[in-house]
Amino acid sequence: MSMRLPKQVGEWINRNKKIRFSFEGQEYTGYEGDTITSALLAAGVKVLGRSFKYHRPRGVLSLANHDINALVTDGVDTNIRADVTTLTDGMQLKAVNTDGGVIKDKRKYIDSISPLLPVGFYYKAFHKPARLFPFWEKVIRKAAGLGIVNFNYPRINKRKLNDFCDVLVIGAGPSGLSAALSAASNGLKVILVDENQHLGGSLTYDFAGEVASRKTLIDLVEKVSASLNIKVYTGAYAAGYYQDHMVPVVRADGITKVRAKAVIAATGAFEQPPVFHNNDLPGVMLGSAAQRMMYRYGVKPFNKGVIVTANAYGYRVALDLLQAGVNVSALVDMRAEDKQDAHALELANKGIQIYKGYCVYEALPSKGKLGVVGALVCPYDPLTATADVKKAVKLECDGIAMSAGWAPAGALLYQSGMGVVYNNNIQQFVPNRLPKGVFAAGRVNGVFDLEARVNDGLRAVAEVVNFLGGAVKALSVETHKGPSPSHPYPFVHHPKGKNFVDFDEDIQIKDFINAAKEGFDNIELMKRFTTVGMGPSQGKHSNMNAIRILAKIRNFPVEKIGSTTARPFFHPTPMGHLGGRSFHAHRLTAIHAWHQAAGAAFVDVGAWSRPAYYQKAGLSKEETVQQESLAVRLSVGMIDSSTLGKVEVCGPDAAEFLERFYTGIYADQKVARSRYVMLLDELGVMVDDGIATRLSQDKFFVTISTANAPMVYREMQRCLQVWKLNVTLINVTSAYGVINVAGPKAYQVLRKVVSIDLSEDALPVGRSAEAKISGVPVRIVRAAFVAKQAYEVYMPTGYALSIWKLLLESGKNEGIRPFGTDTQRLLRLELGHPLPGIDTDGLTNPFEMRADQALEMGKPFFIGKRSLEIISKKPLNKVLVPFVLAADYKGEMPQDCNLVIESGVIKGRVTSIGFSPSVGCVVGLAYVAPHQAELGSVFEIRTDNGKTAKATVVQAPFFNAE
Amino acid sequence: MAYQLLKYALGGEYKEPRFFRDCQTPKKSYDAVIIGGGGHGLAAAYYLAKDHGITNVAVLEKGYIGGGNTGRNTTIVRSNYLTPDGVNFYDASVKLFEGLSTELDINLFYSNRGHFTLAHSESAMRTMRWRAEVNKHVGVKSRVVGTDEIAKACPQMDLSCSGKSPIQGALYHEPGSIARHDAVAWGYARGADSMGVEIFQNTEVQGIDIKDGKVQGVHTSRGYILTGKVLSAVAGFTPRICKMVDLKTPIVIHPLQACVSEPMKPWLDTILVSGSLHVYVSQSSRGELVMGSSLDPYEFHSTRSTFDFVEGLTSHIVDMFPFLSNVKIVRQWAGMADITPDFAPIMGMTPIKGFYLDAGWGTWGFKATPISGKTMAHTLANDKAHDLIHSFRLSRFEEYELTGEKGAASVGH
Amino acid sequence: MKLLKCPINGTRPLSEFIFGGEWRDMPNPDTSSDLEWASYVHYRDNAPGIKKEWWYHSPSGTWFIAERNTLTDEVLATYLYSNPPATNVEEQSA
Repeated sequence: MSMRLPKQVGEWINRNKKIRFSFEGQEYTGYEGDTITSALLAAGVKVLGRSFKYHRPRGVLSLANHDINALVTDGVDTNIRADVTTLTDGMQLKAVNTDGGVIKDKRKYIDSISPLLPVGFYYKAFHKPARLFPFWEKVIRKAAGLGIVNFNYPRINKRKLNDFCDVLVIGAGPSGLSAALSAASNGLKVILVDENQHLGGSLTYDFAGEVASRKTLIDLVEKVSASLNIKVYTGAYAAGYYQDHMVPVVRADGITKVRAKAVIAATGAFEQPPVFHNNDLPGVMLGSAAQRMMYRYGVKPFNKGVIVTANAYGYRVALDLLQAGVNVSALVDMRAEDKQDAHALELANKGIQIYKGYCVYEALPSKGKLGVVGALVCPYDPLTATADVKKAVKLECDGIAMSAGWAPAGALLYQSGMGVVYNNNIQQFVPNRLPKGVFAAGRVNGVFDLEARVNDGLRAVAEVVNFLGGAVKALSVETHKGPSPSHPYPFVHHPKGKNFVDFDEDIQIKDFINAAKEGFDNIELMKRFTTVGMGPSQGKHSNMNAIRILAKIRNFPVEKIGSTTARPFFHPTPMGHLGGRSFHAHRLTAIHAWHQAAGAAFVDVGAWSRPAYYQKAGLSKEETVQQESLAVRLSVGMIDSSTLGKVEVCGPDAAEFLERFYTGIYADQKVARSRYVMLLDELGVMVDDGIATRLSQDKFFVTISTANAPMVYREMQRCLQVWKLNVTLINVTSAYGVINVAGPKAYQVLRKVVSIDLSEDALPVGRSAEAKISGVPVRIVRAAFVAKQAYEVYMPTGYALSIWKLLLESGKNEGIRPFGTDTQRLLRLELGHPLPGIDTDGLTNPFEMRADQALEMGKPFFIGKRSLEIISKKPLNKVLVPFVLAADYKGEMPQDCNLVIESGVIKGRVTSIGFSPSVGCVVGLAYVAPHQAELGSVFEIRTDNGKTAKATVVQAPFFNAE
Repeated sequence: MAYQLLKYALGGEYKEPRFFRDCQTPKKSYDAVIIGGGGHGLAAAYYLAKDHGITNVAVLEKGYIGGGNTGRNTTIVRSNYLTPDGVNFYDASVKLFEGLSTELDINLFYSNRGHFTLAHSESAMRTMRWRAEVNKHVGVKSRVVGTDEIAKACPQMDLSCSGKSPIQGALYHEPGSIARHDAVAWGYARGADSMGVEIFQNTEVQGIDIKDGKVQGVHTSRGYILTGKVLSAVAGFTPRICKMVDLKTPIVIHPLQACVSEPMKPWLDTILVSGSLHVYVSQSSRGELVMGSSLDPYEFHSTRSTFDFVEGLTSHIVDMFPFLSNVKIVRQWAGMADITPDFAPIMGMTPIKGFYLDAGWGTWGFKATPISGKTMAHTLANDKAHDLIHSFRLSRFEEYELTGEKGAASVGH
Repeated sequence: MKLLKCPINGTRPLSEFIFGGEWRDMPNPDTSSDLEWASYVHYRDNAPGIKKEWWYHSPSGTWFIAERNTLTDEVLATYLYSNPPATNVEEQSA
């Protein structure tokens, strides 16, 4: 049966455009502008989902995303919120969390065994005997969760934008609209956001049977649209409040991070369900939901309804229902006081029966609890929250609208650090302390009358203007007149329970009472034990009632109970939105494309991408690395080392700076000479090494290992500030490309293209020279980390590729071969040079590395020296030794990080190991106990599979030819 | 059917007793006062009573029990550490956890799911081997596995991480488990309470009296308490308590954040951790994905949430599981982590007689709850540090004897 | 995201900054005892309150000092190490 009403003034649907869709296999038609739920309701479908725990049938509660009764899947996506998701053509929908369909759900039996499952039952069962728990766990895991994830759902990363404004107004109801307008007229740049597709908030549905207030709405919206100072985001929710007024605004197409100078939360209030037996049946809904249905979507909520209320809103809802042609069976007012306002009189005049001081004791279910057939109403005792069942009246109806009170939508304000007081006049928490630049207006601020809400927007803007340095007259918050919009305790006890407080989690009144009995009687413990507010709607319709129940149980004023902490997000937010387009920042050298073309296998080193080796068809990685290393040992190879950190240390105090920063001596270093540098931290732990070349009396050129370069350069900068030396640091990492040409024939290759004499006599190890290659100025440094005969060639980055190619050409006859970092590691190992970060860890000191010769302990100061003095008084626990395996070793190959074991005790570990084709055996470095470190002593390495490999301590370098 | 549930169906008054008494007025003196009603403090109280017969004990909790990091972590229990001392300690904790539901008669949902620490680079693989070798040596089930085994355990994961940082292998730790964190605190509270320990919630410690280098008593918001033994088990609040007794520590407080998704039908059976992507994720018995990341980048003594955290974390989660693009995050939160320079806790005696420290729990506190309680109880009762926690003594810093856990964290970029 | 004011580049989002830890006055290594030195390198003034901290503005390579309340995250002042506020006042009055 169609529930669609005739066209309503201002409705959000376009009746000229039909949308076809299906739900649970049945075909339906809705209109453009419908949400999934409104289209289903229009088609007379009431059961939209099944509840999380008991699998009870559920329909509409709020129609505003304040509950998750209606979660559906379209076969692609899951947990789609039907109440607020726009209907699109061809949707094929099903309810989630059912087994066999929403009507025939095979798990509905759980509702009938619910007495077995009291609050926290899962803490009290299934664990004894322990061996059965895995079985029960499987059962429980099967019942857990809502929708089924689609593993083929496409990867969707949404765009992210930034936006900036003077004032961000959240919520476009009467307070928000008036605030936005007022702020704009004060010359402020405004962003106005609202989660609905249309502006207006409650002005779009709360009419009390006449549409006079619609004029206010049209007037405000027209002015907002006309204002050049206001940018409007609709269909956009403010997901959270973050430091310094940053609010991510979420829309279907992505997140806009809004940074505001001030924020006005005009976020309104959530209507709260009164709690009675079967208050969750399909057809039982909030009054505001019924209003939204009628005025936004032109849908009749039910044919004959009962209204249960405890405030003036119920009367407004009743008038709205009558206007829509709904038969109102009666209005049940939980308040006994005989204060009649105009709406009450109007209703009485229309002949609607009003039960004052009555409650709905229970909603009477139709078969299978799929709907409502009536309401049992009884006189109500608010002190005991009980009904006088003897005087019960049975009212026939197919729907119940509930209006008993509100809870402020204060999540963002709480996140900003709001303090609250409980206002007894309106039975609501209101802000009494807001952080700088954060303001509240309207119902979230405890202001309920329409005119007062408009004024409260103006009041908030006056505060904003003054906060931003203006001087306008301050206004005050209007005190609420008339009866409270919220009932202080809208509960009705029932021996059978099923009077729901939290619809997400199926939590009833008795669950709270029982939790309190067990000692979970403060709000945070109660939340955790009952899980109230922990479902996807985050307590929007349940937290306030939970607080009220606990206050009653403990006989405390509500204020003393306080509230649980509100955390982001206001609505659950998709990961594709939050993550956005992710970036994988990395740096490439000038020669990168060549490496790629040459088949390099790349490895990330810090932010850089470097060739690990150059893949050769038919060869394994190990074989390739050995071939590359042999090329260097037998002839010549070259590696792109442009990723090295490079810093020029300039100024009269340059040498002094290096002497304080590094462990060695640099004052007496001659120009065009290079020295090893070792950096420690304040604890004396080895951090990095490199070489320092003196370019002139007051200029050094220092290299830093690739991965450490940013950190070491930062530390240099910091130390320079503290030491106040006459030094300038220039980071030239990107300015220079570096090619290391290594091997016995490196000289021959370079000689052909370099302008100066490179012979051993002219340029021995430890020397540097300025030269030219094809007219390009280069610096050549003789460093011997990978081979005795090696030349590091530094050139302007722009020439790196052409010089790389030139050297390849020049070395053609020598069989020059490029090599990568894996090969470099083997070459360095063959020479016995430990590599920081590989052969050291976060605690290794230079004594353990036996690198004492790099320490100039006689210097007045260097970083780490004082700690080394302390450490040197203690016995060493381990030392790094070079070792070899027997040349004929045939056992399982030990790996990096295999342990050194002596008599069943861990003494150390292998840090580097590999077969050296040049040496002809397996060589490596390992930490061993000091007593195992003697030359020639043998220690045992335990391999991955528990075998033992005997290793012999030898003298480095392993490779000593040339 | 679990027969325990039948009693609830038999109608009548709900007869479940309180988990613990509602203590309001402290006695004049106690044999020991424990500051902090989190898992650690309550476990210490429980074992003081159970193992050592010391029941005249007060637990003072500023907020509500389990409300600090006990209720803010991602509930992972594991022992795949790097140093033998670390592995032994956490292994003892895992063993206690395994029997804890039975011992405390509360279902902790201790769920053995297996734990993969993913390696995205060769250097990370080295560290995995190091940990595996040490674990094996100590008798803990950890091993290096290849991508095939990861794919088998979690076929839904994109092993290339959307092409950004392909997974090369992992450290698989068979005993890795998750548990209901709140219930751990509640179970210990009930156990301790039943043996006479008094638990005071909403009770703030305002000062600690020291005379001649010895603890005399504690000033609280509920009055002065005489005691000769005080255990501080307050995680992120450790610096504030230590300041009261003028005790220096290397602890620095950084927030640690986490978040949780909407519930969905269970599909992720294992616990996954990626150091390079700064991600850890598991699926709870409610069907939510529980996710965490690395520490916040700067010192801060508060539990505010940041958007940067959730942006970074979800971006990596979507790299690992592209199909989660439209799965929603419901809630994010933060805890205050008390970080030490060597990523190991600080436990045991201090230079102040009668003042015991259980701190420095950083991101690894929950998994140590039972063993820290047991060893600290032993330490208090005997006034001598338990053997298992010798490496974690406060004086190790002055002695330049930092634990090697730092090694793993800083090796492999 | 938090905003922080670099003394050279003005107010920028926190993602551009790197935290450099608490600023600490190094004791004289020549005169301090082993224990004093160990205490300096290991221990921190870690109770919440207003601290002087090192911060680094990454894009521009600027180290500076921020006086920050580590309990509220409020930044009271930022300045170059070489140019603390007291000096500023003197310069202004000179």
